[in-house]
Amino acid sequence: MRRHRQRHATLAMIATLGIALLALGASETEAQKRAKQQRPPPVAKEAPHGQPEEVRREQQPGARESVQADVSARNVAVTSSFNGTEIVIFGAVDNSQQPSAESGYYDVLIVVEGVPARLVVRRKNNVAGLWLNTSSATFDNVPSYYAVASTRPIDEIASEEFRATHGIGFNHLRFTPAFGQSQALSTEDLKQFREAIVRLKQRQGLYVQEHFSVAFIGKSLFRATIELPANVTVGPFETRVYLFRDEQFLSHQSARLNLEREGLERYLHVFAFSFPALYGLMTVAIAIAAGLLASTMFRKTAH
Amino acid sequence: MAMLGAFPGRSGQTAWCGMHFYLPVAEMSANIFIFLAMGGAVGFLSGLFGVGGGFLMTPLLIFSGIPPAVAVGTESAQIAASSVSGAFAQWRRRNIDFMMGGVLLAGGIVGSVFGVQLVGSLRRLGLFDFFVAVCYVTFLGVIGTLMLIESLNTMRKTRSGASASARRSGQHNWIHGLPFKLRFQRSKLYISAIPPLLIGLFVGLLAAIMGVGGGFIMVPAMIYLLRVPTNIVVGTSLFQIVFLTAATTVLHASQNQTVDVVLAVLLMLGGVVGAQFGAVAGERLKAEQLRFLLAALVLLVGLRFAWQLIAPPSDLYSLSLAIGGA
Repeated sequence: MRRHRQRHATLAMIATLGIALLALGASETEAQKRAKQQRPPPVAKEAPHGQPEEVRREQQPGARESVQADVSARNVAVTSSFNGTEIVIFGAVDNSQQPSAESGYYDVLIVVEGVPARLVVRRKNNVAGLWLNTSSATFDNVPSYYAVASTRPIDEIASEEFRATHGIGFNHLRFTPAFGQSQALSTEDLKQFREAIVRLKQRQGLYVQEHFSVAFIGKSLFRATIELPANVTVGPFETRVYLFRDEQFLSHQSARLNLEREGLERYLHVFAFSFPALYGLMTVAIAIAAGLLASTMFRKTAH
Repeated sequence: MAMLGAFPGRSGQTAWCGMHFYLPVAEMSANIFIFLAMGGAVGFLSGLFGVGGGFLMTPLLIFSGIPPAVAVGTESAQIAASSVSGAFAQWRRRNIDFMMGGVLLAGGIVGSVFGVQLVGSLRRLGLFDFFVAVCYVTFLGVIGTLMLIESLNTMRKTRSGASASARRSGQHNWIHGLPFKLRFQRSKLYISAIPPLLIGLFVGLLAAIMGVGGGFIMVPAMIYLLRVPTNIVVGTSLFQIVFLTAATTVLHASQNQTVDVVLAVLLMLGGVVGAQFGAVAGERLKAEQLRFLLAALVLLVGLRFAWQLIAPPSDLYSLSLAIGGA
């Protein structure tokens, strides 16, 4: 009787696993969605560490306003525990004539751009009932990450022309089709591939545009938080801060931010990509050792 | 467990966000418990059915968002870990035909070299995901169907009281006419080296492309084509798998940089524990019931890949970094 019950229990367990597998198969993007949800609300990892460059405040009577800005952490460490991070971009308007933080006298526009890279976009087509990648386009200088934060919608702040010359907004990203494409592509195709890059990057949380995310705290002080998701590519980031008043560009300042692998994370990555054969041998050694260890442990407990 | 303990968050930094781990090669943050559980579940099933589990683990990794090439490369390391204890046990029972294993392995490594190259080329063309899915649908479909039919037949036979064993031995077939004959002592065979070399080559190719050990091809091939005695088959196949997957891991790591050691360790830990429970649970089920369940599972994975090929994708476009100059 007991054996019978145990058998049922085992069957039930297998059935559950089977169902779990099916559920996993339900939709392809399910896993990605979940991965996004699992992320705990981001916490600022490092307190704004000191020395924001000495704010020069030589008050020149009648001088134009200018902007000073910096990021909360110039170096962000990507360690084994890295699960995305949040950076604060803060700054001040020199010679501010703004009566209060709420007056909306000035507009601030912030662009954060990650490392430019060469990217391949592929398009699937239905061939004899099966979906497979049939065409592709390669683009150069595609920023790995791109965020725009502003006090108001960007088209209300800056003219189309200004945004185009300074690469502000998804329509004005500066990536270009790579020279010598394997396939000749029509302009319409290229446009679709471009749009696909922006759409997919947005879905991955790597291209972000948030209006009203820059806030003035006082007459001259403002800040914005930018979220770097866990799947962000490491490397140097460029932060550009633009100051406007009534659609008139006043001043601009840029700051650098560096995302770097550190600790074990760094060693493993360097090892895997610089000494790949040795890294492979190490992995195999770990595997064999783990297997043998498990077998001796099991032998002791089982007999 | 010791491995996990060795990676605490650096003091002074934020506590290591509880349960996430940034995978150094897959370059993504992964929930530790999901992959431990995945390793555990597949370990349980492989212990239960006495299979390697690669054909379950690689698909699970792919479906959970690990890039297919990294899933395949990493899984070969995990298979090496999970097969080595079995191979060791078989070796102590003298159930390994080293001559046979060596010939199969020689073919296997050649196959693996080709397979790893093929993975690299297909990735550059953006066709690897498609190719993996096609391989899985084909092989799992055929093998799952055969197993299902066989287990149903056996179940019907045992119910009607007939004997279920049916291995014919000593029959000669076309294989015995081939040249380069070798004496395989443990298997008590004197056959040409060509069939085992070719079988090894084929399995090596599959192992490199699909991220499997290839036992599901190797075992039936040895029994039905080479007519190796059943008690030698499992040990020799395991021996072959350990070295084949070890070689494949090194090749994937050096050619394609698609082996993630952190992910591999998580899967190994889960797998080792799961396999122990699975082996115990397996003793409570009848062999043909096990085979029926395994067949159902194999078909399920195959269908999942078929769905991926047939269903309209949610987005026709996909992004990838240019590898080795597009």
